[in-house]
Amino acid sequence: MLKLIKLEWQKNNIGKYVRNAVILAGVLCLFVFAHAYLGIANDPDTGVPDAAPGNETISAPIELFTSISFLVFTGVMLSSFIVSAYKNKTMNLMFSYPIRRQRILISQMLAVWIFNFTALVLTKLLLYGCIMMGSRFMVSSFPIDFDMTGLEFYVQLIVKSVVIVTMGFIALFIGMAMKSSKATIVSSFLLIFLTQANVGDFTMADNVVFPVVLTMISLLSVYKAEIRDLM
Amino acid sequence: MPYILQTYHLTKAIGEKELVSDVNLHVKKGEIYGFLGPNGAGKTTVMKMITNLWKPTDGKVEIFGETLTPQSYEVLKRMGSIIEFPTFYDHMTGYENLKLHTEYMGYYHHGSIENALDMLDLTGAAGKPVKNYSLGMKERLGIARAILCKPELLILDEPTNGLDPAGMKQIRELLKTLCGEYGITILISSHILSEIESIADTIGVINRGRMRKEISMEEIEQMSLAYIELSAQDSRKAAYVLCEKLGITNFKIMEDGQIRIYDSHVSTQELSKELALNDVPVTAFGKKAETLEDYFLKMTTEVESDVKTD
Repeated sequence: MLKLIKLEWQKNNIGKYVRNAVILAGVLCLFVFAHAYLGIANDPDTGVPDAAPGNETISAPIELFTSISFLVFTGVMLSSFIVSAYKNKTMNLMFSYPIRRQRILISQMLAVWIFNFTALVLTKLLLYGCIMMGSRFMVSSFPIDFDMTGLEFYVQLIVKSVVIVTMGFIALFIGMAMKSSKATIVSSFLLIFLTQANVGDFTMADNVVFPVVLTMISLLSVYKAEIRDLM
Repeated sequence: MPYILQTYHLTKAIGEKELVSDVNLHVKKGEIYGFLGPNGAGKTTVMKMITNLWKPTDGKVEIFGETLTPQSYEVLKRMGSIIEFPTFYDHMTGYENLKLHTEYMGYYHHGSIENALDMLDLTGAAGKPVKNYSLGMKERLGIARAILCKPELLILDEPTNGLDPAGMKQIRELLKTLCGEYGITILISSHILSEIESIADTIGVINRGRMRKEISMEEIEQMSLAYIELSAQDSRKAAYVLCEKLGITNFKIMEDGQIRIYDSHVSTQELSKELALNDVPVTAFGKKAETLEDYFLKMTTEVESDVKTD
């Protein structure tokens, strides 16, 4: 399986994605840093951060922006690794190999998942690290509410990253059903609104059941690959 | 006779429409089988089912003595194929694409990639990304990939599309070599008879999703396709003479009144003498030969008129 994943990376020119992920992490880092120390989110009149209720602390924008970015990043990668492979018929080639189709699909999904999970964890660590370093010299507009010395911080970080990247499979499922790369990417956007945003007081950000159920449905679609015709 | 590939009543329907119905195909080990039919006849559909990309609605495919199921993966190791147009990872070079193929097939033989590239005259282009290849080069690279892992059965769906006449000839020579020297069985489809008649051992003709005829080239050669054509003023009387006086039954009166005699034993002298004796004036006389192309064209058009009358 590991070999299949490596081949997927090789085929899809993973270097390009590494470069983009590094750029993305850098931009996010600057942005969040500016939030905390340059006061870009502050109300010009009062000088107090203009944040939605419940998002007053610094970890809220960090989690939100990294999740949004990497969910879309996952959507983009899934669309080019899998949906495009169906569209440009390289999947026909893949399915002519003596390898179970489920294994092929799972290796493709894992290739994207592992990459994005790693990138997301590293980006979050970078952001939290930068904010903590900054706090030694400056005062953050948003209260600092995390403690990088505790184990709980890392457990939370990993669990949240797993959930976000796995949710990308919902976008994949929609993209595959509609046979469209664009649909995959648009779905990943919509997923953010559905799971991260809030309408008034209503938010699904804390609801774990919903993304889990959707993800399970998406994963089930892999099992049909064995018998389905490849158009 | 051992068949390396056989289909039994193979049928594929998508929705209401039957793409192929009741196809029985028999490919012997070590032969080149030409799969012939006009565009849209169902050649690719059959080949997709043989390579397990599509699952049959009815009937079955037997390869190397095993019936194909959705879980048949081992047989794919022993096959090489191009279905429709060969696809590649365009940003990678020709060499990298072939390397990738060997990784997935689990085939590691030193020099096999270089050998395949050399056979298809692609050594010079091996280092270029596939997106810079011409149509013909991609087709050749597809064939190189198909033969790379020394398959026992090679399935080629119109492999000479996009090739110039010299390229086509080269491929034909290559296929002959592969079959003769390496004992590879080849199933090759085409809509142009002349392209495969010189290399095929057996020809299967498919039209409108049905197998029309499966015939060996030997049988075709033995079949008399030559005939004598004569024009008489009174073709009915001429026909009477042929039948009653000369005992010829294998002839046909064409729509324009000409008579075609397929009996090869009759001499033209004998014919003209007998017709003159019976007072049947003959206006034209000639020996003609029907080409194989005409024969197949006839076979496919006959089918079409059958369909129309239905």
